[in-house]
Amino acid sequence: MKKLRIRNKKIDDDLLMKKRREELDKWPTGKEVDFDEAVAYQKSLPDSKIWWKVMVKLREEGRMSVFPRAGTPILENMIELCRGLRDSGVVLIPVTTDSYTRLGQFEKVEEILKECNSTGKALLNGYPIINQGVEKTRKLIESIDAAFSPRGAGGEIAIASGMTTAEAGMGFLNFGSYSKNMTIQELVESSQNGMRVIGWYADRGVILCKDLHGWLPSAPFPLSVNIVCLIIEAVTAAEQGQKALYPLVHCMGNMVQDLAWIRLAPRLIREYLDKFGYQDTMIIGTCPAQTPLFPVAMDMGGAFAYLCYASMVGALSKSNAVDLRSIDEGAGVPTKDTNAVSYRAAKWIFDVVREQQIEIDVKGIDTEEKVTETEVRAILDRILDLGDGDIVDGTVKAVESGVLDSPWSPNLNVKDQVMGVRDARGACRYLEFGNLPIPDEIKEFHREKIAEREKLEGRKADYHTAIKDLWGLSKGKIAGLPPYDK
Amino acid sequence: MKKAPTVITGTVGMDAHVIGTKVLSRALRDAGFNVVELGMQVSPEEFINVTQETNADAILMSSLYGMAELDLKGFNDKLMEAGLRDVILYIGGNLVIGRYDPKEAEVIFKKLGFDRVYPPEADIDAAIIDLKNDLKTKGKM
Repeated sequence: MKKLRIRNKKIDDDLLMKKRREELDKWPTGKEVDFDEAVAYQKSLPDSKIWWKVMVKLREEGRMSVFPRAGTPILENMIELCRGLRDSGVVLIPVTTDSYTRLGQFEKVEEILKECNSTGKALLNGYPIINQGVEKTRKLIESIDAAFSPRGAGGEIAIASGMTTAEAGMGFLNFGSYSKNMTIQELVESSQNGMRVIGWYADRGVILCKDLHGWLPSAPFPLSVNIVCLIIEAVTAAEQGQKALYPLVHCMGNMVQDLAWIRLAPRLIREYLDKFGYQDTMIIGTCPAQTPLFPVAMDMGGAFAYLCYASMVGALSKSNAVDLRSIDEGAGVPTKDTNAVSYRAAKWIFDVVREQQIEIDVKGIDTEEKVTETEVRAILDRILDLGDGDIVDGTVKAVESGVLDSPWSPNLNVKDQVMGVRDARGACRYLEFGNLPIPDEIKEFHREKIAEREKLEGRKADYHTAIKDLWGLSKGKIAGLPPYDK
Repeated sequence: MKKAPTVITGTVGMDAHVIGTKVLSRALRDAGFNVVELGMQVSPEEFINVTQETNADAILMSSLYGMAELDLKGFNDKLMEAGLRDVILYIGGNLVIGRYDPKEAEVIFKKLGFDRVYPPEADIDAAIIDLKNDLKTKGKM
């Protein structure tokens, strides 16, 4: 067997410190970060603010929490928003940053933030963490008894402020879902240039947790490519010193598949972490996520049902968290009240269903798990072949050749030769395999499943079927049975 | 026969939501238009420059993240300066942050110079019929 390894350019400590300071010098609030003081502050935090400990406690007690999204620009309103979340039973609180902050446009943010503060209006679509800085953000975190996670941006300002998650390793979200021109080589460089900030904190006894997203399935598409990317993200993060991880598992709306994938993803991540020698990196839970297109703003019933579906999948799979948006997701940024009503609905399911500790044993789940597992292993084997045992080299070559590919990417450097559609039961199948190294018998399985739908609808599945399926779940109809009144 | 009208598509500002504009581009191509597809995160300046370079007849913008109004501050004036007064302008998506009345969004964006303003999940075929009618009215089709 080839030696498994991860390419990494390690940099020395002096350079690491210099790079960290350069990053912080991009905006004056960076001066508020004193590295040693940040470590001391992190160590002073109670367990209820430490993300990985909160997740482990939930799991041990057989409970779960919503992991929502929330961000509004004015500090006082952000505190109010997060207090509302806590009151609805949420103990994992996000600090979603605005889009300009994510792209480093701090001067523009400053100007708009001033206008927000003077008019009281939320003109940014999130909390501008960099411009707010450490002192103000600590006020937020000290106001509420829960663990906090920066979403989208934050860097060491977030860590120094007392947030307890941070990202290391390759993030496919940045490459496959949010970038237009980034190459996979650039993703490797940006994530592997040896920043090792998370490792630096771990060496000092501060464990920052990370959620793995993988390459988002932007439309109905089997999850095997995403799970491959979860594994790549996990081992590259572990290599940089990340000690606590958990996968988001993107639920596409077919419950049998969703439950199968929730079972499969952490199992395979654990296996590959061990194979690469990272036995000491913990997987502290699993977080089903509601990912496909959300119902339109006007469809309040659909919005509730959609949230409750994901909550139910989380409860039945005995997860310790569920990644949920609010009923306002289709409308934009949620208010305190719509968050409250959304997460009370989720909490109802958690308290009633999760705590029943239901054992699910369904043959269909085993089949879906086996199919996806075979696909994941086939793609990963090819990646390790391409990289001659090096998972990062292999990934670069795999993306460039479409061995790793996903549909509807905004990125121009993605092959985009694959396509997914739903089958007669609403499960996600490959319509076009592109260059994915899926074994022949599995390809045949997908074709048979699609043929069942074609028979039901009396037409061949094609590009237009894929487009129609973009709206399937958000409109509340994914299976092939015609409407009752037709 | 007149040559196919040229239209520009893209998601404006810092918005990464791309599926809507991809689907729209394909539908426009299927309907016989010459489509210049700019994809996500297109600045207002890029829309204007490409419109000038390609002598396009219409711009169909998408936005889903609620900040289009900020992105498009002064867009109308810039179009006038560039001598593009005649270009047909459509925008569609989630145009305001929060739960809003699409009629309010229509007022805001018509002031910014847009001819038509579409709510989320608007019917693409209906929008293409609108576009053909507007092009005919301007004698461009």
